[in-house]
Amino acid sequence: MTRDLTPLFKPKNVAIIGASADPEKVGHIILLNYINEGYSGKIYLVNKNPAEILGMKPYKSVLDIKERLDCVVIAIPAPAVPEVLEECGKAKAKSVVLISGGFAEIGNVDLQSQISAIAKKYNIVLVGPNCLGIMDPRSRVNTLFLPAYKLSKPKIGSVSFVAQSGAVGSVILDLIEGEGFGLSKFISYGNAADVDETDIMEYLMNDDETKVIVMYIEGIKRGKAFLELARKITKVKPVIILKAGRTAAGATAALSHTAALAGSYEAHEAVFRQFGFTIANDLVDLLFYAKIFESERAPKGNRIAIITNGGGAGVLTTDAISSSKYLKLAELSEETKATLSKTMPPLVNLRNPLDLAGDAGDKRYHDALYPIINDPNIDMIIVIILFQTPGADSKLAAEVIELKETIEKPMVIISVGTQYTEMHKIMMESSGLPVYDSPRSAAMSLEALLRYYQYKNHKD
Amino acid sequence: MLSDYFKAKTLLDKYHIKSIESKYVTKAEEAVKFAGGDAIVLKVISEKQLHKSKAGLVKLNLQGANEIKPAYKELEAKAKKITPYKIIAQKMARKGIEAILGGREDPQFGKLILMGLGGIYVEAFKDFALRTCPITKYDALEMLDQLRSKDVITYNGKSTAMITTLLLNVSKLLKENPSIKELDLNPVILREDGYEVVDIRVLE
Repeated sequence: MTRDLTPLFKPKNVAIIGASADPEKVGHIILLNYINEGYSGKIYLVNKNPAEILGMKPYKSVLDIKERLDCVVIAIPAPAVPEVLEECGKAKAKSVVLISGGFAEIGNVDLQSQISAIAKKYNIVLVGPNCLGIMDPRSRVNTLFLPAYKLSKPKIGSVSFVAQSGAVGSVILDLIEGEGFGLSKFISYGNAADVDETDIMEYLMNDDETKVIVMYIEGIKRGKAFLELARKITKVKPVIILKAGRTAAGATAALSHTAALAGSYEAHEAVFRQFGFTIANDLVDLLFYAKIFESERAPKGNRIAIITNGGGAGVLTTDAISSSKYLKLAELSEETKATLSKTMPPLVNLRNPLDLAGDAGDKRYHDALYPIINDPNIDMIIVIILFQTPGADSKLAAEVIELKETIEKPMVIISVGTQYTEMHKIMMESSGLPVYDSPRSAAMSLEALLRYYQYKNHKD
Repeated sequence: MLSDYFKAKTLLDKYHIKSIESKYVTKAEEAVKFAGGDAIVLKVISEKQLHKSKAGLVKLNLQGANEIKPAYKELEAKAKKITPYKIIAQKMARKGIEAILGGREDPQFGKLILMGLGGIYVEAFKDFALRTCPITKYDALEMLDQLRSKDVITYNGKSTAMITTLLLNVSKLLKENPSIKELDLNPVILREDGYEVVDIRVLE
């Protein structure tokens, strides 16, 4: 059954239970988020204490609110949650974000079961408990109780992040800001008393604002339902997944070699592989992969051309390509070589990697890239720009940004360095060109892109 | 519970999975007769000792009555300590690459199928690929592709089609027999032009 999570991400109104005038309280931070982000829907505050909060008068209970509520955010101590959740149900609230901790994660399994039962009884879409909740920069919803000065706010974009853990989620959010891509939706769903990873994935699969789904999970609640969805979802859009618990002890009493080798982590990984998920091994990988998929260019094959202004960097990148069993170094076509022989200075060797030398500027890069973009022997392009060299400057960055608009082949940049490089990296990335700081991460990402489209396009 | 060897062998036959010619023997003479001049293997099968080779319960490459008879006596003496037991005689497989094929029931995802480098290398290299059942032909090819030992196992691609069919048959067997909790076909001897399952272990 598809769960409609729209009221969580696009609520017309919101009630905050546990809203508080005390700046230390979670309920206060969440309220401030809604105000500061410029949320345009109606905000209702609920608190048993009638004192005004930031000039607004709280309601005693959600039952006193006349309008039907799209979303209720609950941030009160766990023991009080069942009662107010019942009230939400009676008030016909459509969705609840239950921020509060103190449930199954500390052994209060019964209390959590109560929550699940109430949500089910009233058909409430409930996220949490023990979670950060929802962020949607388009609707300006933000239930994350994190002090605003501590993390950078991501731009509006098309990558959606799903994180079971709140802490990992907030790290990812902070890191996205350093990348060129933006956020569609963020959801930290905690203990998953009601809405779980499969519900969220299914919603995002059908969400037009989401082009790429990135997930951090610790477990899967409903294996069979997940399998069913896994078959479909990657045919629609890429899913990048990081699963914690690789080293967890496998089946203890395995009698067969098969069971001894293939434990629970391996089983999860098998499902991800089989259905074309991109498997990440750490948080940084998630970002590498997210940005290449966000650029939405599908490779026609595995042959890569490397253009560089540093010989050493070209060799290192060749090594990174060679160590992937799926990627191949392209052979430049005779036509490309003929064109290059007219435009390149004599010191440039007409082979792949194409080393343009340290004095190469925007003109030489343009002349080199033009035939390569149109070379039928080349499927993907890596452009290495070492901004420390004399020829590389902002004009060069502008040149590759412009070229990017004209090509259909995947193209990535490798640039390593500090301030001057970083400035250009931001220029290029915010124009949708993925920039990597190492040959390894660039090769990994191109391989993931290739493998995803091979899976997506295969006929069986 | 460990299934009877011949019950398991019959199940493999049903799915066109070839296993080596075998027979239970209760006397040394029976083993000699079964050999009929070929080299044979003698193994003790007992639920109390699943790691036969490690426990010295396997005698390989026995040629003629004067090798078969003393080997039988020796195994019988060891086996009496782990009753109930059976002694099985098998034709000696021709040389090839040892692979493992297997499966298990996963509480989350149902039947899983495994293929990897087998025999004594299973534990050392842990070179295997895993999928959920049923697999498609694409999945089978991807499984092979995932193995570091792919070129060795497929004889540089020459036996890819044969192994793919084998994988699809094992997947079908696993899917259609829900009572199987664990399955080990290890080793499966692969050659360029054929294969044989040499040892079968089915847990229900």
